Amino acid sequence: MTAVATPAPPVGGPRPVPWAKLAWVTWRQHRVALAGVAVLLGGLGLYLLIMRVRIHGAYLAVASCHPAGSAACEVTGRPFSSYYHTAQDMTAILQVIPVLVGVFVGAPLAARELETGTFRFAWTQGCGRLRWAVAKLVLLAIAVTAAAGAFSLLFSWYYQPFFAERFDGVLAPQLFALRGVDFAAWTLAAFAIGAVAGVLIKRTVPAIVASLAIWTGLALATALFLRKHYQASLLTRGSPGYSNPPWVFGQWYTGPNGAPVGQQTIRNVVAHAPESVQNSTNPNAVTAYLTAHHYTQWSTYHPESRFWHFQFIEGGWLLVLSLALLAATIWLVRRRAA
Amino acid sequence: MNVIEAAGLGKRYRRSWALRDASLAVPAGHVVALVGPNGAGKTTLLHLAVGLTAPTAGRVTVLGGVVPGTPAALDQIAFVAQDAPLYRNLSVADMLHLTRNLNRRWDQRRAEARLAELAIPLRRKVGRLSGGQQAQLALTLALARRPALLVLDEPLSSLDPLARHDFMASVMAAVAEDGVSVVLSSHVLADLERVADYLILLSAGQVQVAGEVDDLLAGHRMLAGPAEAAGDVAERLAVVHVHRAGALAHLLVRSNGAAEPAPSGWESSPVGLEELVLAYLREPGAGALPGPSARATQDSGVPA
Repeated sequence: MTAVATPAPPVGGPRPVPWAKLAWVTWRQHRVALAGVAVLLGGLGLYLLIMRVRIHGAYLAVASCHPAGSAACEVTGRPFSSYYHTAQDMTAILQVIPVLVGVFVGAPLAARELETGTFRFAWTQGCGRLRWAVAKLVLLAIAVTAAAGAFSLLFSWYYQPFFAERFDGVLAPQLFALRGVDFAAWTLAAFAIGAVAGVLIKRTVPAIVASLAIWTGLALATALFLRKHYQASLLTRGSPGYSNPPWVFGQWYTGPNGAPVGQQTIRNVVAHAPESVQNSTNPNAVTAYLTAHHYTQWSTYHPESRFWHFQFIEGGWLLVLSLALLAATIWLVRRRAA
Repeated sequence: MNVIEAAGLGKRYRRSWALRDASLAVPAGHVVALVGPNGAGKTTLLHLAVGLTAPTAGRVTVLGGVVPGTPAALDQIAFVAQDAPLYRNLSVADMLHLTRNLNRRWDQRRAEARLAELAIPLRRKVGRLSGGQQAQLALTLALARRPALLVLDEPLSSLDPLARHDFMASVMAAVAEDGVSVVLSSHVLADLERVADYLILLSAGQVQVAGEVDDLLAGHRMLAGPAEAAGDVAERLAVVHVHRAGALAHLLVRSNGAAEPAPSGWESSPVGLEELVLAYLREPGAGALPGPSARATQDSGVPA
C-alpha cells in the first residue's frame, strides 16, 4: 500500500461551502415545520381576511348612524357588537401563536440531531458545525419572524374598526403583543428560547415543553409587571376618560385629609348619598358627590400616544434577548462535547 | 505524514477519564484497526480525531498537523459514526443531495455508481433500508466526499456476517482505488484481522499497543515449555504474558525475530494477531509502543 500524497491545504483553509447550499439543506430539513407554520398562519390569516370584509359593512352602519347612542343606533350596532365578541375570542387564541410557531421550529433544530445521533453526521461534514448552525438559525429566525410580522399586520387591519369605535385602546394588554413589532419579536424570542433549550436539553419533547413554560412565564411577567414601567406613568385626578382609551392600571381614592382610603370607605360614603345621586344614570353624579365631600379619585395611566414608544422598547429588548440566545446556541454547538 | 498524531491526549467526562495520556502516530496509507474492549475509549479517540469533541488534556492533530474540526480537517476527513446515523425520513436521493450541499467536494457519479452496484434504490426512505444498506449508504456518502482519511466507528457491529463481508469489501475497494487512509474501530478483532495492516490496542483509556501488524507479529514469539522453568525464562526475556496449563506454560515474549534461538527445553512458534491481542488485554500493565509514539511527542514539540 502506498502513502497518499495529500496536498497541504491552502493557508486559511479551503473555500467554505456556499451559504446557498446550506440554505437548501435548511429548507429540506425544516420544510415540514415551515409548512406547518404556513398552514397555521395562512389559515388564521384567511379567517381574519374574510371576517374583516364582513365586519366592514357592520362598521360602516355604526359609523354613519346618528345620533350615536340613540336606541335606533343601538339596534343598528348589534351586528358590529357581535363581531366584536368574536374578535375577543380570536384575540385570546392568537396570544399563543408566537410561542407555537417559534418553539416548534426552534426547539427541534438541534435537539432532534442530538436525540437521534445525527449530529455526528451533520457536524463532521465539510461545511463544519459553525456554518451549519449559523445558516439554520439565521434563515429559520428570519422565516418565522417575517411570517409573524406579516400576520400581525393583517391582524392590525382586521382589528382597526374596533379601535376606531373605541371598543379597545391600543395599549390594552391583550392587544398590545399582537400588533406593531411585538408579535414578530415575541415569535423570534420563542424561536431563540427553543433553539437554546434544544442544545441544552438535547431531547425534542422536553425542550419544547421547557421552552413553552419559559416563554409563557416571560410573556406573563412582561404583560403584568414589566410593560407599565417602560416609561413613568401619568397621574391624573379622576379618571383619564374613555374618548381616547388610555391604559389605566392604578385607581384609588384619597380622603379629606389627603390620605388614601379603601374601597369600603367609598362605598359607605356613597351609601349615605341622596337617592337622586345613587340612582343617577350619569356616573359623574357620584363623582361630583364624592368630590363635594372631599374624596378624590386618582388614576395612573399611559396615554395611547405612547403605543409606538412602548412597542419599540419591548421589541428592542426582545430582539437583544433573542440575538443573545441565538449567539449562545451557536456557542454551545461549537463547544459542545459529543 | 501522520493521519492521526496524539501527544498526552486525554478526555474526561465528568469524573472519569475515557482516554488518558494517549500518545500515538498513525502514518498515512494504512488500514488501521483500533481495537479494545467496550469502554476502552475507542469512540472517544475517534471523536477527538474528527473534531466532534475537544480534548481535556494534551493535543491531537490529523493529516500532518491540522487541528481536528477546522475547515481544512473536516474537508478531508469523512467519518461514519457508530450505527451510521442518517436522516431516516429522507430518501436516499435526498440524502445524497443533502450531503453534497454540506460539502465542498463531492463526487455524485461515484456515489450513484456505488449505489447502483449495491442495488440500493434512490427513491427509498433511508429508514426503510436494511441495516447493511444503511451502513453501505453511509460509507457511500463518506467516499463520495473523496476524503484523504476515512474514519469508521464500529462499522460492523450491527451487521450480519454477509453484510460485514460486503462492507469490508467496499472499504478495501476504496483503498485500492484511491489510496484513502482508513481507521476503523471494533471490539471484535476477527472483523479486522484480515484487512488491517496497522493495529492500535486501547484498553482502559490508554494506548497499550500500536504498530504495523507485520512488525508486531515479527516482534513477538510464543514459547511453550515446562511451567516450573517459566520464572527463569522471564528473567532473561521480555515476557508479556504467561499462560499456565498444568505442567506446561505458554509465554508470549518480545523478540528480535524468529532467528533468535529458543531457550533449551522450550519450543518457539510464531504468534497470531488474535493471540497477541488477547495476551496484552490480559496484562494491562504491559505495553508495546514502538517508535512512532515517542516521535509524535518530539515532532509536535508539545510536552505531554
